[in-house]
Amino acid sequence: MAVIDPTMLMNIFLIGISGTLICLAVHFIPVGGAPAAMAQATGIGTGTVELAAGSGLVGLITSSYMYAYEPAASMTLVMAAGAMGAAIMLASTMLAGGYIYAYGVAVPFASAQVKKDPITRERQDIYVSKGTQGQGIPTICFVSGVVGSGLGGAGGGLIYFVLMGIYSPLIAASAAAVAGVFTMGVFYVNSVIPSYGVGGTIEGVHDPKFRRVVPKDVLTSFVVSIICGVIAIMITGGMS
Amino acid sequence: MILDLTMSMAVLALMGALATIAGCIEDLESDVGSQSNPNSQVQLAPQMGFLHRIYNKAISGEPISNGLSAVTGGLVTTVLLDAKFYALTAIVLGAFVAALIYGIFATTAYAGRVASQSRFKQPLYMDIMRYTTPSIIGHNFIVNFCLVAIAYIQYAILGYPFTIPFLALIWGISVGAIGSSVGDVHYGGEREFQNREFGCGLNTALSGRIVRRAESGLRNSIDNVWFCAKFGGPATGIALGLTVFFSSWPTTIWGYTWKAMGVGAIILAVMTIMNRLLEIQVKNAYGPYKEDKKEKEAGA
Amino acid sequence: MSDIKEISPNTLALFGIIGGLIGIYLSPYAPAAGSIGAICAVIWGAEAVRRVAKYGLGTGVPSIGQIALGMGIIAAMFGLAIVKDKILAGPIVSLITASVIGLIIGWFAQNVIKMKIPVMIRCMTEIAASGALIIIGYSASVAGNYEFNNIVNLVFDNGVILAVFWVGAVAMLHPFNACLGPDEKQQRLLYLAGSTGAITMALMGIAALMTLGLGGAITLVLGIILWLVFYKKFWDEVYKDAASVVGTGLIPKTEA
Repeated sequence: MAVIDPTMLMNIFLIGISGTLICLAVHFIPVGGAPAAMAQATGIGTGTVELAAGSGLVGLITSSYMYAYEPAASMTLVMAAGAMGAAIMLASTMLAGGYIYAYGVAVPFASAQVKKDPITRERQDIYVSKGTQGQGIPTICFVSGVVGSGLGGAGGGLIYFVLMGIYSPLIAASAAAVAGVFTMGVFYVNSVIPSYGVGGTIEGVHDPKFRRVVPKDVLTSFVVSIICGVIAIMITGGMS
Repeated sequence: MILDLTMSMAVLALMGALATIAGCIEDLESDVGSQSNPNSQVQLAPQMGFLHRIYNKAISGEPISNGLSAVTGGLVTTVLLDAKFYALTAIVLGAFVAALIYGIFATTAYAGRVASQSRFKQPLYMDIMRYTTPSIIGHNFIVNFCLVAIAYIQYAILGYPFTIPFLALIWGISVGAIGSSVGDVHYGGEREFQNREFGCGLNTALSGRIVRRAESGLRNSIDNVWFCAKFGGPATGIALGLTVFFSSWPTTIWGYTWKAMGVGAIILAVMTIMNRLLEIQVKNAYGPYKEDKKEKEAGA
Repeated sequence: MSDIKEISPNTLALFGIIGGLIGIYLSPYAPAAGSIGAICAVIWGAEAVRRVAKYGLGTGVPSIGQIALGMGIIAAMFGLAIVKDKILAGPIVSLITASVIGLIIGWFAQNVIKMKIPVMIRCMTEIAASGALIIIGYSASVAGNYEFNNIVNLVFDNGVILAVFWVGAVAMLHPFNACLGPDEKQQRLLYLAGSTGAITMALMGIAALMTLGLGGAITLVLGIILWLVFYKKFWDEVYKDAASVVGTGLIPKTEA
């Protein structure tokens, strides 16, 4: 098997892209970390890694099912299936979380990073409670989160699609297991790296942090994912 | 396996119901042990001089700990299924073994964390250990049962390409991610600081100053479940139920087409609008914390 | 952090690498040895997690366990697969691959993401390497050896690998996470690492009952015995370190 084969290079590139998509997704999802769980910061009250992984893996379930039952499905359709599953997971989470902020803790939704919501044009600063970094999930965060989880799910779907294409001809029965586990490994590596970049919390696309950290995180993820891609291709050498 | 539409919808509804129970109980289980992000306050309290009688179950974040118990349950279930056990027996036994292991992890976390706080004189209460741990195991058993059952349905009836441990793990991670995003806010944002004015917003300066007295006597983790079961738990259940149901519903009805993707997009749009309506309502109902400077000047 | 003398990181790294490799190489003769090797790697990995997570990562301790096993599983699959017929080289190639991936990610974390943690590069390398050994060790005790296609058939196909991946990660990250605090002590953490590693071993024993039959029972029983030993030792340390261990009682009076 020649390593300098255009198809192989394309596959490696696609794995690199999908890792980068997962990395980007982490930046879009509004995560407030521990402070958000006490309504002391805007966003979802949990960690970046698990939220990106949790939604992305739901996307992996939907896209793998589609791949198994529609072998003719195009790459974009598999990616769309992953994106849909992941986005629905995150949207239901944010919606139910919003109900808790609204009726359980009784705080109005507000972002501390921008003065006006870029989508609804509503004032944010006056709704921020004293001594906090905002609270709840304002519209811009919600939209940003849906888009982000969509990217993550699409990334997961893409890498699974590529790996299945590589492994299926070699180990038909075990291809799904190997590709699934490999996808998960790449998923975790690429969701932890940007989490370190953002330092655990980010409000979404409107956060000033977004512009500051995205380039270097994306570069890191791309390089690491390309390495993973090369490894994924080279593994085929040992399959019989 | 290809089922007809009625049967697929029935299976989907069953999965949605199981997911709702799993989500609800998962959140309550994280409250009974005090886990995940709100636990940072319990962890901080002794340092602020607030010694307490609350469990400190820092197994890790909820997604990881629930992934742990779900994958354990899935693994044991797979082994038992391989040994020709009935599916239901296998799932129950698998969930039970996983819950026991989970309980062991919980005891080490409580003991370890308290022992690492010795300079603040936080005592390790063995009675808390003895009667909270079985409650954690019990809650976790229900969660495992539901998640492994979903994984079994997806694997054996719907024919997903992944194995039971894999599917159980993914649902475990999801239920944990949802539980810590939704239900924990009720525990962390309200229950731990219940002595503050409702809706005052929690100043960061309050960190660690948790409520330590209960409706009667000293508060322990069981009291926290009692409170969170009224809202935080059910809301978490609805979130996971919606996830399981709506992530499969479009493709069940419209098949694997772009049309189904379009329906998914419509669901997302509806959820966004619902969130917006909620935002408007809350802002109108509670009003801003501080007045706008310009308005203030105009009033003066 | 503590005045009593600690076991040095180098000693533990050697213990983890040598113990792990010996265990893995013995696994074709006694599957349980693979798991015991993996426990050595868990103890090493837990210590590496401890050193890096002390600095505060911004995302909590668990993330580092996840990335460790994420890197470990990719490297382990690569190392075992690439060597083809020279099976003996597999674990060592995996170990080296994992170290290289860890080194690269550590370098990026330090110099591109700028995390400013002095031990980042070294610890990232160590945890990736121990992650690979954990994956191979536990897989070997379920599959009976460390040959790639055999592992694919006996560990990947039935989903046991997910348990290896996830429970292994928790075994490695839990000790530091559970002992987090200003009075954290190395000895208690290492006993806890042994205990979490042994629980994982018992679980692998259950899985091996399916794949290997009676050989699995040995792993299961040994795992439970080891767990009892380490768990008891952990509790002894807790009794020694805790401010007080009481049956029940009111909250002691403090200034607040």
